[in-house]
This record gives sequence, structure tokens and C-alpha cells, in this order.
Amino acid sequence: MQTEIKNEWIYGQGPEQVWEYLTKAELIALWLMPNNFKPILGHEFQFTVKPIPSLDLDGIFYCKVLEIVDYRKLVYSWKGGSGNGVFTLDTVVEWTLEKQGKGGTRLLLKQTGFKEINHSIFTSMTNGWQSNIQKMINHLNASHHDRTNP
Amino acid sequence: MKLLSKDSMTINALAENFDMSRPAVSKHIKIMYTAGFISITDIGRERYCVLKQDGFNELQDFINFFDNFWNSKLKKLETILNNRIK
Repeated sequence: MQTEIKNEWIYGQGPEQVWEYLTKAELIALWLMPNNFKPILGHEFQFTVKPIPSLDLDGIFYCKVLEIVDYRKLVYSWKGGSGNGVFTLDTVVEWTLEKQGKGGTRLLLKQTGFKEINHSIFTSMTNGWQSNIQKMINHLNASHHDRTNP
Repeated sequence: MKLLSKDSMTINALAENFDMSRPAVSKHIKIMYTAGFISITDIGRERYCVLKQDGFNELQDFINFFDNFWNSKLKKLETILNNRIK
């Protein structure tokens, strides 16, 4: 089963310029989402977007800077849920910048950890089967409802 | 469910893995069956439980969503970067 996303994009601008758009809150907002990012290791921030009912996400992504190497690498956690404090989405976003040709940038994006959702279901089931199954059923019913009424 | 992720099992075989009565295990299986997580097939005198992947389509939905999401965002970044140079 697929558990991660990889994407690659080539830009005509150099890594220094692309880096600005990955690490300055007002520039990130131009192409990604409104946010309160700061290029500081351990900084916790949020991306805000409209709710995504089909995925049962309330539109707030909770992130934390996990690794930062100027102009080369940026890693942050990326979590989300329906707003009840439980993260149904628990992933890590990793950006890598490489020089490409004359003055260009090869930007690699990796989002990993999608598998964790299953693991958390398995783990919590071992800890409290009955209650968690009920939670899952409610969750499924809700997401099924969303699918039939997009 | 973790047990079923490896192979299909009979209800009796499943019950042996849990410290609860056979009727209690049956009740849990019925809940999972109702929720669409497993299917039950009669083979001979035994009832086999099979994990259904449909219940996990949500995971694929997440992946598909973010795949499209990043693709469109990275393209937008390209447009913004190019306009900035001009």
C-alpha cells in the first residue's frame, strides 16, 4: 500500500530564491496557505485553509519545524484532524533543494507517514477495542456520509 | 484486525488469540462486519473472516488529495517565481 507522496519540480530560479518562498511566512502564503511559519528549529506553526469535509479535516494543519539547513533542506511535521484533538493525518513534509543546471533549482517534496493512520488504529484497538471500534464506526459513517453528499 | 491483515482466519482461530469468550469475540466480529471492515465466508463447516480493504480507502483518499494538492501548489509557485522576475 502506498504510504508516501513524492513530487519534483524544476524552477528557473536559484535555491536562494526558492528558499525564500519556503521559509518566509508572507511568501509561503502567496502559493501555499496562510501560516505563521518561522525558520527556527522546533518552532510550532499552523497552516489554515478551508475545511475539507471529504477527508474529515477542519482545515488547520499543525506543524513543527524538525530540521532546517539553509537553502538545502526543510522538514516539518504536518498533522490534521476533525478538530476533536485526534490527528487522523499524521505526516512529515520534507523539502530538499538542489542546484539544477545554470542557476536553476530542483525542488523535491516528500510527504511521508500516511501509514501511521493504520498503525494508530491497530494500536488503539489493542488498548481498548470496544470503544475504539465505536469511534471508527462513527468516523466511517461520517466519511461515508460525506462521500455520498460531496 | 491486525491478525487478519496477514491472512484470513476462522472465528475459532481468531478467538484463541483473545482472552475473552467465543460469544464476545463473535460480537466484535459482527461489529467489524457491520462496519464493513471484514467479510465472512462459509467454507465447509467453518466461517472465515477476511479483512476488507474498502475500510481503508480513506488512506488512499488522503494520499490522492495531497498528491493533487502539492502538484497544483508547486505549479502556482512556479508562476509566482516567473512573474517576479519579469
